[in-house]
Amino acid sequence: MDKVTDALGLTLEGEHLTAFIPATSKAFVFRVKSRINRGYEKFHYGPLPLVANLPLSSYAGGVILVPATGVMPMYSYTPVGMGLRFPLTGAYDETDMWYLPEDYRERLFHVISEVTPKWLRRDLEIPSGVTQGRFQRDKVTTGIDKLFGYVRGRLETVHFPKLHYGYRFGNDSMFNVYTGIDFTYAEYIIETPKDPELIFNILTRKVPSHWITMPITVYDDSIRRAFVDVYGIEGFTLYPTTKRSEAITEYQTLLKEAKV
Amino acid sequence: MASEILTLKGESDGTNTSGNFPLYSDLLYHDSGVYAVPTKVLIPYGMKAKIWAKRLAAEDETLFQIYWSKDASVGSPTWELLDSQKLASKGEISLEKRRPIVVRSLSGKEGFKVSWTQPTAKKAYVELEVEITDEE
Repeated sequence: MDKVTDALGLTLEGEHLTAFIPATSKAFVFRVKSRINRGYEKFHYGPLPLVANLPLSSYAGGVILVPATGVMPMYSYTPVGMGLRFPLTGAYDETDMWYLPEDYRERLFHVISEVTPKWLRRDLEIPSGVTQGRFQRDKVTTGIDKLFGYVRGRLETVHFPKLHYGYRFGNDSMFNVYTGIDFTYAEYIIETPKDPELIFNILTRKVPSHWITMPITVYDDSIRRAFVDVYGIEGFTLYPTTKRSEAITEYQTLLKEAKV
Repeated sequence: MASEILTLKGESDGTNTSGNFPLYSDLLYHDSGVYAVPTKVLIPYGMKAKIWAKRLAAEDETLFQIYWSKDASVGSPTWELLDSQKLASKGEISLEKRRPIVVRSLSGKEGFKVSWTQPTAKKAYVELEVEITDEE
């Protein structure tokens, strides 16, 4: 198998990264031109940005307050609309270190985060305030506050510019826990491959690429606008291998509109 | 896959001949108010607790017992004995397990506790290496 990622799980320079959007059956295909933080991918962020007395939801019902900064009380979870962002002094948006504006479109953050303790439930709001876990179309909503539709410990994503994400956490143990989060990240300089045939081959898995399926099942209009404003397109439609010429034609058109 | 290893430390009060160990760990927050020191471990839904090691010490004869409950979330759980270890007199013992004691959370309510029983109230100490994991 061709190796497109390094030991950290980050895409190697010169290789491709594909971010698939389930809601649209489209994907962005990026070629990683460079990794700006090569060799310095680890960031021990510290405790989760939970401030004392912040109200969280309780698995037992009602509200439970954060007892001390960075502590997640037992049976608590971050409610919808209160997904956490990670502040960083000096960042473009100091309340959200992973946020980039649209004119940073040549940059892409690939972020693998690992929370302590590892049993904490996790999901993502994309954008902030919009949960993405669904079962049987929209029949059932899933996520950290439900029986399923979450992960524990580790979460991998890419951060598209012009979108704030909300990181949600749930502690379904009986312990009040000190928390911490570690990021393994890459700040890539990316470009869209200019060859529609290459894009087709990547999307039909003939050419290796690091695939990340984004947890986007609800195509909020702010997502669509961000994609159009940042990249000029909403991604490349996945076609079966039998529809090669149709796909190539569409990709050629999209490549004329692509901004990066 | 998620896995976290906790070193849980407990100390008896030295005044009662039986009781449940309060459990301390570097990851566990407690205060003197509503966030009291836990005396039981409730295992997160779908995960399991693996007790890999026990270090027991006491100033006199002490029976150390691990109990588990199908529903440890209630105020007065029904406990069943899972593991028992006795120090016949003052001393200490360290037990590393190649195969751990496992408690599974099938409903999100299962849990365990560690208790002491003594003929005469003396200090007793316990340390457990507990892995909370969703791996087999």
